[in-house]
Amino acid sequence: LAHGNGGRFMRELIEHLFAKYLDNAWLDTRADAAAMPFDESDFELMITTDGFTVDPLEFPGGNIGSLAIHGTVNDLAVAGATPRYLSLNAFIEEGLEIAVLDRLIRSMAEACRECGVDIVAGDTKVLRRGQGGGVYFAVTGVGQRNRSINLGIDKIQTGDCILLSGTAGDHGCAVLLAREQFGLSGTLKSDAASVFPVTRALLDLPGLRFMRDPTRGGIATVAHEMASAVAGTVKLVETAIPINEQVKTVAEILGYDPYYLACEGRVMAVVGAGDAEEALKRMRGAGCSEAAIIGEVQDGRTQVILETALGGERILEELEDDPLPRIC
Amino acid sequence: MQTPSSCKTEARRLIVTGQVQGVGFRPFICRLAHELNLSGWVLNRTGTVEILIQGEPNRIDRFMDRLIKNAPPLAKPTLASWQTAEPDDLDTFSILDSIAESASAIHIPPDYYLCGDCLAEMSDPNQRRYRYPFINCTQCGPRYTLIKKLPYDRLNTAMSEFELCSDCREEYENRLDRRFHAQPLACPLCGPSLTFHIAGEKTIPDTGKALTACIEALRAGAIVAVKGVGGYHLICDASSVAVVRRLRERKQRARKPFAVLLPWRGQEGLVAVMEYAEPGPEELTLLKDPLRPIVLVEKRNGSPLAESVAPGIAEIGIMLPYSPLHHLLTNDFGGPLVATSANISGEPVMIDEDEVERRLSRVADAFLHHNRPILRPADDGVFRKIAGSMRPLRLGRGCAPLEMTLPFTLQEPVLAVGGHMKNAIALAWDDRAVISPHIGDLGSRRSQEVFEQTIDELATLYGISIKKVIRDAHPDYRSSRWAEQSGLPVTQVFHHHAHASALAGEYGLFETMLVFTWDGTGYGEDGTIWGGEALLGKPGEWRRAGSLRPFRIPGGDKAGREPWRSAAALFWECGREWQECPFPTELLKKAWQHELNAPLCSSAGRLFDAASALLGLVSKADYDGQAPMELEALSADGGPGPMLPLAQDENGIWRSDWTPLLAMLQNEKLSKSERAGQFHASLAETIRGQAIRIRTTHRIDRIGLCGGVFQNKRLTELAIEYLKQEGFEVYLPERLPANDAGISYGQIIEACSA
Ligand SMILES: [Fe+3]
Ligand SMILES: [Mg+2]
Ligand SMILES: [Zn+2]
Ligand SMILES: [Zn+2]
Repeated sequence: LAHGNGGRFMRELIEHLFAKYLDNAWLDTRADAAAMPFDESDFELMITTDGFTVDPLEFPGGNIGSLAIHGTVNDLAVAGATPRYLSLNAFIEEGLEIAVLDRLIRSMAEACRECGVDIVAGDTKVLRRGQGGGVYFAVTGVGQRNRSINLGIDKIQTGDCILLSGTAGDHGCAVLLAREQFGLSGTLKSDAASVFPVTRALLDLPGLRFMRDPTRGGIATVAHEMASAVAGTVKLVETAIPINEQVKTVAEILGYDPYYLACEGRVMAVVGAGDAEEALKRMRGAGCSEAAIIGEVQDGRTQVILETALGGERILEELEDDPLPRIC
Repeated sequence: MQTPSSCKTEARRLIVTGQVQGVGFRPFICRLAHELNLSGWVLNRTGTVEILIQGEPNRIDRFMDRLIKNAPPLAKPTLASWQTAEPDDLDTFSILDSIAESASAIHIPPDYYLCGDCLAEMSDPNQRRYRYPFINCTQCGPRYTLIKKLPYDRLNTAMSEFELCSDCREEYENRLDRRFHAQPLACPLCGPSLTFHIAGEKTIPDTGKALTACIEALRAGAIVAVKGVGGYHLICDASSVAVVRRLRERKQRARKPFAVLLPWRGQEGLVAVMEYAEPGPEELTLLKDPLRPIVLVEKRNGSPLAESVAPGIAEIGIMLPYSPLHHLLTNDFGGPLVATSANISGEPVMIDEDEVERRLSRVADAFLHHNRPILRPADDGVFRKIAGSMRPLRLGRGCAPLEMTLPFTLQEPVLAVGGHMKNAIALAWDDRAVISPHIGDLGSRRSQEVFEQTIDELATLYGISIKKVIRDAHPDYRSSRWAEQSGLPVTQVFHHHAHASALAGEYGLFETMLVFTWDGTGYGEDGTIWGGEALLGKPGEWRRAGSLRPFRIPGGDKAGREPWRSAAALFWECGREWQECPFPTELLKKAWQHELNAPLCSSAGRLFDAASALLGLVSKADYDGQAPMELEALSADGGPGPMLPLAQDENGIWRSDWTPLLAMLQNEKLSKSERAGQFHASLAETIRGQAIRIRTTHRIDRIGLCGGVFQNKRLTELAIEYLKQEGFEVYLPERLPANDAGISYGQIIEACSA
């Protein structure tokens, strides 16, 4: 890909790549804005926006194209909305192979189809060489939510149960291995996927309080958000948290806690204790065979505790970076 | 015999400070006055004792002399001041009610052993406290773990709910009785009792029967959680291989050494000790000291102790019974008992009946509870003889809170929150510092709770209001994060500066010296992980003059638990491979090459780990310190070992290069013991080499050794020998542990000296 002078080149790029793969009833590459029907009597409009960068652009189980769709759709889904329309900004670095871009946009289109969403508006910019990591996407998502839905992190109460829809840390681990060219020999794939089927299945559960997709910082980081919202203790149970054997092994070798590794296709849901079993059943019914009740919200100081297999209660700290050693 | 002039009545008012509370000091004063036929009164003001003494002047002189000289064994009184006073119209000597005031001269006594008088009484069938597990007097019994608040009176202790029976009250009020004002005073009629609970079976509430049932269970091979003074122990038969194995399986501790509780036998109580171990005179003295700590003593060959009690090391931690309950248990059982803290790895010892039943349900078969509440935990202290002196490895029951006098006076009270592992906190005000008992590794929920409880309660007990917090520079220590959230002004101290200052502070050394601060890890001034540093200067002014060749530790904290990682990394650092590495390294090496979770360190502790792994001893540690401990145990004299090249880096720091150690450790012409011995010798030689080199440019006569590595007797004693040969004066911590338990005190010295 060359930087070019805008004009014809950009038009061709848009027509031959973006418009071709992402074509739908609403997308008009010549229009300045798109008009969408919306029923506002029963629904409210939900909007989210997110930027996507990932190194490497392609990884087992996905690439930045599909990730951008899943990430945006999931933010709407966990808020209780049905994702409908997306807008896309693509920032492409000069020098990116067209063949790569082609694959990314194709996966993007496939992800849209799978999630039942359309990209209805977009823009493309080409960045000078060295200004971007190949490609960035900025995606805005629009969805609709039934006005009766009342979810929020502030709804969490002491005694609530915490569920996770699948194994923790697959995405973070898969990307890590792909990035460092570890010559991955196993079959570990990113879990990147839409969580809408799961969130939809839970929505009418009366005890449902809150859902979140544990992306950056993993389930431990979401647990911290929950703990501060409720000003209480979130206790996770080591033996209950589903973790892929391969993730376990890699995390063990590298000295990481898998609880901090990102997921891109999981939901953490907080449910009143009385509805926890039903929520679990519904998650499993929505195709999440490994879903589990992984912890609970307790009275106590604002903290996240991991009950270990031996009955110990380890503090899971809020982390930003590689942890510095503390063992003296 | 007396001059007429000395016959007239005089009065003096004395102020006595020091360790005078909870140690039977007032009753002693009372008896003394009575003996000398003097009248007056004694009064406890929180922290100090005030005395009005009147009578013949020469008798008063004798009183003042004996007041210090003949003080009870646990008391450490100082006559702070005295002045003559107007004689009062008094014909007896009495103890007045305590006056509480917010004075800062309070002393919180630690928990004491069972004194000889009480032991004799407990063993006498004619006494009403025959075989009573809670017998105590002013000279013995619990203190720190049962004081709710000061002044130290019964109503302010965990004994407040036990109302004295008439016999006990008589003793309590009789100034000639050794139980006069013994606050935890108790008897079978009015005091605490035992309950034995066999999990899932039955509860035996009667003290005598509970004890019998407990002994039966122990004989049958049960693991029993026993409530003591500062917490619960897991107790079982130490001579049974099968029982010890079961405890190891349930606790998931494959090799961690267990302490052994031996019966008190013979006149001096030491007969059993001689059967199981080979103690020297210093160890024997400490074993029977009122502190009653765990003492590391050389194992005796062919002793009936199961080898698995302390596998892989040459010493065994021995403790003699400290409370009446432990005397009864060991005496009735007759043999050695494993007595390991009832906790989950790294957490403080458990003190609560419900918690123990709940969290140790899969470990203990039965529980021996009593109903005297433990208000705060105090784990057993641990001591080891290094370089001729008994030195603490852990401060606990009997020896903490530990009081230190500061070499300066503080304007306002400060709290030092210590490190992350082996945490102990310190409070300081005026010219005093008080170091808490061992708390534990702060990464667990309960450690954090005990950490906060200890801070709150010590501050309350001593009546001080903390104005400033001092913390380690490591941003991720739990203690650092707590400090940042405390809302108080915070000062940071670098880990190794704290180690060096702890040593300087203990000896009052405030002139330039060189301190080797060798340990596992600590956050250094340059943002890398330090651990093999030689710091030049004095408190408040340390600068790094010596260190080790840096290397990256793969997996960060994981390397602290898995010594094989350090071994592999040393080879990678030299562009080589450790061929015999017992684990696949492909993935780890790639991460290491990409500097992914592989922080740079100059840690001496990790070198010990590497050596231990290279000799095939410990590749994954079961407990903190296992790798160096087993390496030390294996080592024998193997000659001097390779010289490590010493050169200045671009910052002028003298760095010793560990590379030659790798070839030596792999040299199969030497036995493993010789290689382990050479490793110690090389490192001791490295200390000498750095000291000599640094002396060429800086005038230094004094060398300090501080940090966890100097719990290694072999390295420490060799290093001291070499340094003395070069004319250096060498200092090693003696009152505080060399490990991170001493960090909080060092933080105070460092932050407040500047
Ligand atoms: Fe240290
Ligand atoms: Mg997002
Ligand atoms: Zn006594
Ligand atoms: Zn009584």
